[in-house]
Amino acid sequence: MPAAKPSNRKMTYPPHHGLRGRFCALLLIVLLASPAFADSIESLSGTVIQGKIVSRDDKFVVMDVALGGKTVQRKYGLSLIRAIIIDGVREELKPGGNTPAPGPRLGPGVNPGPAGTRTKAEIDKLIAEAGRTPPDWFEDTPLNLPKSLDLAWPEKPPGGWNNQVNVGQFVWDVINPNDKRWREGIKFMQQMMDMHKNDNEKRQRAMSSMAGMYHHFFQDYARAAYWWLQAKDRTDWVGVAECYFRLGNKAMAMEIVMALRRRPSYPISLVKLVADMGETNLAIEMTADTIKAGSNAADEAMMHAGDACRLAGRFKQAQGYYEKIIAMPDDKNNKRSKDRARESLQGIKLFDTLDVKKVADGSYKASSLGYEGQVEIEVKVAGGRIDSLRVSNHKEKQYYAALTDTPAQIVAKQSVKGVDATSRATITSEAIINATAKALSGAMK
Amino acid sequence: MRLNWFLPFLRVSKKGPPRKSPGLVVRLFSIIIPKRYQSNTISGKPGPLRKLLKKISPAWSASPLRKLSQTAFFILFLVLFFYVCWPYSAKPAQVWTGWQPLEVDPDSGVTSLINELPPPASLAVGRVVYLADPTYEPPPGASEEERASSLGAFVVQSIEEKTIRLKPREKLTPQQAEAIAFAAGKLTLHEKPPGAWPVHYAEERDRKEKIAAEAILIIDPLVSLSTGLASRAWVWSLVAAGVILIICVFIPRGFCGYICPLGTLIDLFDWAIGKRVTRFRAPDDGWWVHIKYYVLLGTLIAAMFGVLISGFVSAIPVLTRGLLFIFHPLQTGAHRGWHNVPSIHIGHFVSLILFAAVLVMGFWKPRFWCKYVCPSGAVFSVFNHFRATERKVESTCINCNKCVEICPFDAIKPDFTTRVTDCTLCQTCGGACPVDAIKFVDRGNRVELKVLNDPPTHETAIGRRGFLAAGVGIAAAGIGGTAVALTIKGGARLDDPTAWRPVRPPGSVPEQEFLQMCIRCGECFKACPNDVLQPLGFEQGMEGLWSPHVVADFAGCEVSCNNCGQVCPTGAIRALSMPEKKAARMGLAIVNESTCLPYAGREACQLCVDECVAAGYDAIEFIRTGTRVDEQGNPIEGTGFISPIVREDKCVGCGLCQTRCFAINVAEKKLLDESAIIIKAGAGREDRMMTGSYVLQRKREAAAREEEMKKRFSN
Repeated sequence: MPAAKPSNRKMTYPPHHGLRGRFCALLLIVLLASPAFADSIESLSGTVIQGKIVSRDDKFVVMDVALGGKTVQRKYGLSLIRAIIIDGVREELKPGGNTPAPGPRLGPGVNPGPAGTRTKAEIDKLIAEAGRTPPDWFEDTPLNLPKSLDLAWPEKPPGGWNNQVNVGQFVWDVINPNDKRWREGIKFMQQMMDMHKNDNEKRQRAMSSMAGMYHHFFQDYARAAYWWLQAKDRTDWVGVAECYFRLGNKAMAMEIVMALRRRPSYPISLVKLVADMGETNLAIEMTADTIKAGSNAADEAMMHAGDACRLAGRFKQAQGYYEKIIAMPDDKNNKRSKDRARESLQGIKLFDTLDVKKVADGSYKASSLGYEGQVEIEVKVAGGRIDSLRVSNHKEKQYYAALTDTPAQIVAKQSVKGVDATSRATITSEAIINATAKALSGAMK
Repeated sequence: MRLNWFLPFLRVSKKGPPRKSPGLVVRLFSIIIPKRYQSNTISGKPGPLRKLLKKISPAWSASPLRKLSQTAFFILFLVLFFYVCWPYSAKPAQVWTGWQPLEVDPDSGVTSLINELPPPASLAVGRVVYLADPTYEPPPGASEEERASSLGAFVVQSIEEKTIRLKPREKLTPQQAEAIAFAAGKLTLHEKPPGAWPVHYAEERDRKEKIAAEAILIIDPLVSLSTGLASRAWVWSLVAAGVILIICVFIPRGFCGYICPLGTLIDLFDWAIGKRVTRFRAPDDGWWVHIKYYVLLGTLIAAMFGVLISGFVSAIPVLTRGLLFIFHPLQTGAHRGWHNVPSIHIGHFVSLILFAAVLVMGFWKPRFWCKYVCPSGAVFSVFNHFRATERKVESTCINCNKCVEICPFDAIKPDFTTRVTDCTLCQTCGGACPVDAIKFVDRGNRVELKVLNDPPTHETAIGRRGFLAAGVGIAAAGIGGTAVALTIKGGARLDDPTAWRPVRPPGSVPEQEFLQMCIRCGECFKACPNDVLQPLGFEQGMEGLWSPHVVADFAGCEVSCNNCGQVCPTGAIRALSMPEKKAARMGLAIVNESTCLPYAGREACQLCVDECVAAGYDAIEFIRTGTRVDEQGNPIEGTGFISPIVREDKCVGCGLCQTRCFAINVAEKKLLDESAIIIKAGAGREDRMMTGSYVLQRKREAAAREEEMKKRFSN
């Protein structure tokens, strides 16, 4: 299922991204990956929609598309379609040549994803071209650096950790956690590279850092690969492999993966890449190797394997990994994995396996943190359906709309999935959704 | 010139001298009102209109037009105060969710969408809507324009059951057409461009404000005169004061008789309660008859010392504050739940006692406040010397004393002539006069006047005692005003940079001028969504009493609102446009690094950051604190906490962060004793300007920073 697979990297980095965001992404993947329909069409920028093609004339293709459990007949203008694939046979309507490079999302709703295939020559060309030009926002991005920052950037800065003096620590503590400053981070590294153009070591450090930013922050794989390959002594090969894969050449990526795997040790992030590439079994194998080798990063490897299984819809197996992590003896390094494993387990329970039909008739209460405090809901279930839902207690100060709108949506949809947060009352809405999920899943037989 | 409008035609016609040429208003009414409602001039039977008015009260039957005017202005005042200034009818821009694209015509861009339910009535044909993909995340660090990007603006072309057809207003780009056609999830329709800065509170107030909400306040002349004098600045409402004073050249003291809602309320009180309690009635005039002039003098002298005390005694502010402190909590509690009523403090009680005193004076004499104490009325009394019209009594007077009895302002002497500084031209006496001897005419009219001092008034021009009394009064006013000014001044300790500073509303003028211009009327509290602005108690002594300050523990300043400046009658809070308000700094959020949960290493918390991002200011960022390093000096992933850090170049001090930290970490979870992020005012933390643009100020600062960065990378 190489189809719709948004970058998972972005979902896990930086760590403050919401739990729900991750759930939604996983849900979307699971939904889209269900292979109930044989045909698919690919848009000009590479979005793939699967369905059953019903008819076609000189202007439109008509297709049955399943979304959220319902099938709708949708019409797609031929001029917006790059390729039509019927029973595995691909028909190019706008063959190659002008394919845009996948990178940051091109526009609302247009999801680049791995656009099938590119040859090695195409990939190399793409990377070389992207590296020559800065992104269009580059000029207009203001820098806002503390006056105390030491731009001489010594490799081993004297004194202790100080994010207001040392460049690397400033990037780690100040730029990385703030998505609003990521553009600034790239511009900063570019300026450092220009400033230290006669110092090869510092130049390469700036390049590698910039490549990481293009990769982690912007999923701009072409530019990330370009700068990593430029920083000859500091190339992150797992990163480069991922770039190749995202740009549409899995073979080039696997070549690097296999080479790295032959080494006595490899970064644990390689397991994640393999999982992300859909090689679930290989990821499980590598995880087993890691555990066998007694690596102190076994928790992380298992986390990756668990995520890979969850992504592939193998919930039982995923649960197994998460539970194993939670059962590990506590130490200061695995706390993060354990917390995440707990979150993921709860996520599978609350959202993935929640089924109102399995809830006994009755009235259930639960609460979740809202804007001003706990928002308590009371949900009544009758005959496997959500009969009514109301907010029974709250201290919210404004945007009362959410207090009636969100319950109404949940009742109409008979689900906590796909409920739109009431405009400008997201926190209240989400509290109602979470509390409802808690109440229902707690009452499941 | 004849200004009679006491409608004598409603009365029974008596034999005697024929009526003198009735005024224009009277003639007009006798034409408009059907004959059967008027009194029968032949049989002498009073008409139904006359009977009805008589039933209500003598004042209504004697001068119905004035009572109508009073009623109209009183209702207008209540509507402005309790309806126009009530912000909660504002609704955020509408969003219609759950739209699945069916078809996009790549040529015309006409788009069909389907929903599970038929669209609501609000989504009507011809309406302009903006289409958006809720799953779209703008690129990190996107500018405001990028964030506001949508799938285009459309006009609703037709609605058919659950399907809606939209026609684009401008040609769709191929990217937009593709994004709509290939959208994986459901799309949303928006009333306003998605991502645009919300303005619903400002728009709603603007929609309701057909007449300026502060209209009645700005025509209280003492409000403008005293604030202008105290701050030595041009107060724009002086224009309104000028206009009303010019009008009152023609209708002397007409404000008091026809407009002033406090006067009307006092009338109501006297009618409902005052007249039933007679034991306190004062039989005669006494020492108090000239208090109002001394209060006015004292107020103006204090203003000359730069201390504003007119907020304590000026008619309309006393009324607005009284109504606010009594009825606003009730309105809030009944409409929005009692947990939304802010707590009260001693300042509220002081104001309420003052308000009650104004009413209770009515036990002494009806309208005691208006006749003898009100300094706003005294301004009109002084200006009455420039009157162009006045009440005159003709020689047909039969000395029946009816006019003296009915006059609500004690403005008729024993000889039935007029105390010109007190007469409000209310014309009640004209309506009561059985022989039509009273006329309201130009000042120079000398025709057929009755003789003066008959019966004798026993008034002398000014006797020794009178002179002495006036002297003592003036001296007391001067000394009192000065003493009050000196006592109050300095309460705010403006010279002391370490003194506590209240966080003022956005667009407040510099603190010194603010204290001198804020009339303490309470309009801003009334118009403020969620009661962010609340009256100060004695934190700044008397100098800051009842002035507005931000209570961010209770609520933060709503992003889509600029009401406080728009309803301020004196300009103490500048009337800012939304873009200016968005840029005006009222304070700076300061994180307490010893208590803030992640800083203290207690637990992860990002309430304030989420709040600031949701509000659209992006002024609180993350910073990693407590990062641990390995042997090589490299940071260990996942160590430390992500803590909040405020960007001084972006924070406007709205207080939303503090509200949230307080509500959750202090009130709900009881983790902290006080919010770990607090808005503080003071030099360098707020913009306090009399004039100039806050937007330009921010731009200048940004340019300076850019220049400085360039310099650093150039060597």
